[in-house]
Amino acid sequence: MSSTEPSQNKTWELSLYELHRMPQEVIVDATEIAVSPRSLHSELMCPICLDMLKKTMTTKECLHRFCSDCIVTALRSGNKECPTCRKKLVSKRSLRPDPNFDLLISKIYPSRDEYEAHQERVLAKLSMSHSQASLVNSITEGIKLQSQNRPQRSRKTHDDNSNASNSNGHTDSAAQNGGSTSAPKDTTPTTGNPTASGQSTSNPASVRSTPSPVLSNVSSISKNTSTTKRAKSILTSERSEESESSDGRTEGENSMDTEGEGEPLNPNEIELVFKPHPTEMTGDNQLMRALRDSSVRYLKTTANASVDHLSKYLAMRLTLDLDAELPEAYRLLNFCIYVAPSPGQFVPLAGSQTLRQINDKFWKVNKPLEMYYSWKKT
Amino acid sequence: MAQNINPHYASSSNPAKQNEDTIKLKDNHAVSKRLQKELMELMRCADKGISAFPESENLFKWIGTISGPQDTVYAGHKYKLSLEFPNSYPYAPPVVKFLTPCFHPNVDTCGLICLDILKDKWTALYDVRTVLLSIQSLLAEPNTQSPLNQQASYLWPNQTAYKKYLDEFYSKHKDS
Repeated sequence: MSSTEPSQNKTWELSLYELHRMPQEVIVDATEIAVSPRSLHSELMCPICLDMLKKTMTTKECLHRFCSDCIVTALRSGNKECPTCRKKLVSKRSLRPDPNFDLLISKIYPSRDEYEAHQERVLAKLSMSHSQASLVNSITEGIKLQSQNRPQRSRKTHDDNSNASNSNGHTDSAAQNGGSTSAPKDTTPTTGNPTASGQSTSNPASVRSTPSPVLSNVSSISKNTSTTKRAKSILTSERSEESESSDGRTEGENSMDTEGEGEPLNPNEIELVFKPHPTEMTGDNQLMRALRDSSVRYLKTTANASVDHLSKYLAMRLTLDLDAELPEAYRLLNFCIYVAPSPGQFVPLAGSQTLRQINDKFWKVNKPLEMYYSWKKT
Repeated sequence: MAQNINPHYASSSNPAKQNEDTIKLKDNHAVSKRLQKELMELMRCADKGISAFPESENLFKWIGTISGPQDTVYAGHKYKLSLEFPNSYPYAPPVVKFLTPCFHPNVDTCGLICLDILKDKWTALYDVRTVLLSIQSLLAEPNTQSPLNQQASYLWPNQTAYKKYLDEFYSKHKDS
């Protein structure tokens, strides 16, 4: 660490960089240099308050910049050294004001007051909703990033769903199939039975056309006929069932392959699909009616987030979305969160569990974690 | 280099630190603003092996996690820590403690950490991220000269024995 540098014996030796750097040509013509806002921001930012520099002070020896207030407080409270490089700073006299830099900032951001007022408003809003707001922020950002491939992904997830529930012979989906005779055969959609190929292509489609909360939410997909067509095109685009069966692939291999097509996910992040609890959150539930199309949520967040974080996020997010639609009495939303390791089996989760723990314990497959929420009126 | 100082002495041996309590910042606003920004930055680009999040509505208390660095005896272990920020943050360091019991020469049985940058070498430029990264690297490079945990310090030179003891210790305590 830099603490080992000989800060006691004052030397004026130039660093390698200082020895070799050449003065830059002064630009006199109309040449424009493009600078990204982000790199610009780090130049104009005070490293102590992380805000834009205000009444810039520059250290005389090492030329590091801080807000006047920030560096004065820092010198008063801590060691007498430059917070950035630990160069000794005897007193305020080791600093000089840098009005040129202030001028530069005001040239780049002429409406600084406005900018600050805006930031104040945002922060005031944030502190009202406390730390949860930043969770919301980060998650919304995640959603934005995902939104590009969301339609495709959600369809795929749904596809996986229907396959999963079929292979388990889940009674609900069999019933929803409208008593179709295909139900018993559903158990082997991808096990490489060549005769099942025609059957299984129509299979996801028939499940797909049943009313389910997911379906109503994938707004880009319209019902029935177009869905059927789409479902088929997914199958052909991803991998046709026939080629699969001739390859003699096992189901496990297949599902891993198709999942592998998605973008690599940071191991510290977890994708999850949040759905309303199918029995506790039925259509006559007031919240469900208010939510309508937005009852399913796609999130990507840190694996260390806990169930408590999620339920607070959910409460906040839904409250923000609903806003005027929900009567005041319903504002305080309280959620119970479940995971469904197998269809129809809902395990309520304790608030302290992290997503990683849940994922490891209940959800060993490589696809977005599916969770369910139900709403309790407090 | 981690400079080992008994935390109890460290605070009293530095008279400048006493000032901190008397420095009255205009309000908590500036502090929560900075913490807010740190949080956003942390969420935006997550570092490998560390994470942190406010424990509750209170922005001044965070829970962090550190994964043991790869290729060290701590590889595969995961530690939870608490970070409490004083009103004088970032001019004064946060109080950082291991919540998961950690067998390490510079961590005592209560989870207190002996690390210079959390004491006299603190500067306002450190933040949650750099603090957690520093503690992560302390795991792999302890200062065995002035240990808080004598046994760990004594065992450290024998990495095979250390690893064996550490793994047993970890699996026994990780859930507590």
